[in-house]
Amino acid sequence: MSDLIGELERDAVTELLNVAIGLAASSLSQLVRDEVRLTVPRIEFLASAAAAALLDKATGRAESVAVRQNFRSAFSGDILLVFPERSSLDLVRSMMGDDIPLDTLTELEQEALLEVGNIILNACLGSLANQLGIGIESSLPSYVRGRGARILGSGSVGTASELIMFLQVDFAVTAKNVQGYLAFVMDIVSAGQFTKAITAYLDRLMER
Amino acid sequence: MTVKTVLLVDDSRVARMMARASIVKAFPSWLVMEAASGEEALTLATSCQPDFVLMDVNMPGMGGVATARQLRQTFPSAVITLLTANIQDSIRQEAEEIGIGFLTKPFREELLLQFLRSGSGVS
Repeated sequence: MSDLIGELERDAVTELLNVAIGLAASSLSQLVRDEVRLTVPRIEFLASAAAAALLDKATGRAESVAVRQNFRSAFSGDILLVFPERSSLDLVRSMMGDDIPLDTLTELEQEALLEVGNIILNACLGSLANQLGIGIESSLPSYVRGRGARILGSGSVGTASELIMFLQVDFAVTAKNVQGYLAFVMDIVSAGQFTKAITAYLDRLMER
Repeated sequence: MTVKTVLLVDDSRVARMMARASIVKAFPSWLVMEAASGEEALTLATSCQPDFVLMDVNMPGMGGVATARQLRQTFPSAVITLLTANIQDSIRQEAEEIGIGFLTKPFREELLLQFLRSGSGVS
């Protein structure tokens, strides 16, 4: 699948996402008042079912909660923030403070995760848009709970067998026992448009 | 201390709770009103006549930028800022064009309070 995107474009995507996700991580770090560690983004072209299996592997095949936004520009797709279910309450507690009673925290869990997702996913999309010099529209965040296939299947991209571009970054707030995954999912047509935007970005860089 | 009215507009209850907590801690006597949509904000603003408005951007219905534009015209003396996770340059430019501030989420408490003290909303 490596011929779907050239080496230079792949390198550019990794760098653009490093910056975008770095900004998202900085937002998360402010929210939980702790350091957030990131992995290097992985870019893979694979069937949606295989992407779901990757997500399941990353979460130890446990149930996850996810916040998803659909985005639209010259390319479109879904961006997802995924947490293992066991991490989500710790995340909300980190964000809202220890003095909130457990039953209130549980009541607010879904709304708090949506707001975390809103902040992190928009930081990531916004940075990407600013770097590429384009506008990206996004839907309101929505909340999904389940295994990988349900989380990916709830989005706007692809059927189980359709090839998609899957970009994944793992992050961890070690001191707070919070870990999660950020993923971009685009179908092949959009991935082609995305690659074109990357090529135009590289051309502009070369002209400087 | 003069009592001021702050209108928080955000579809997220959690986001409103966090902003309210910071405002109330710094200005215990101020009145904090909440709206969960642009439409609700326009109605509420008519009755509460806000001195400050903190406006989310991505909301169901008319959205934060259109609401802020309307509030800017109806309440020219109100100090308005976007408070948004949407950090795109285009949104920042729209805020400038309307003549309102631009604060990013998650908000830094010192910047939010600086906005409420001085009326400048740039982060």
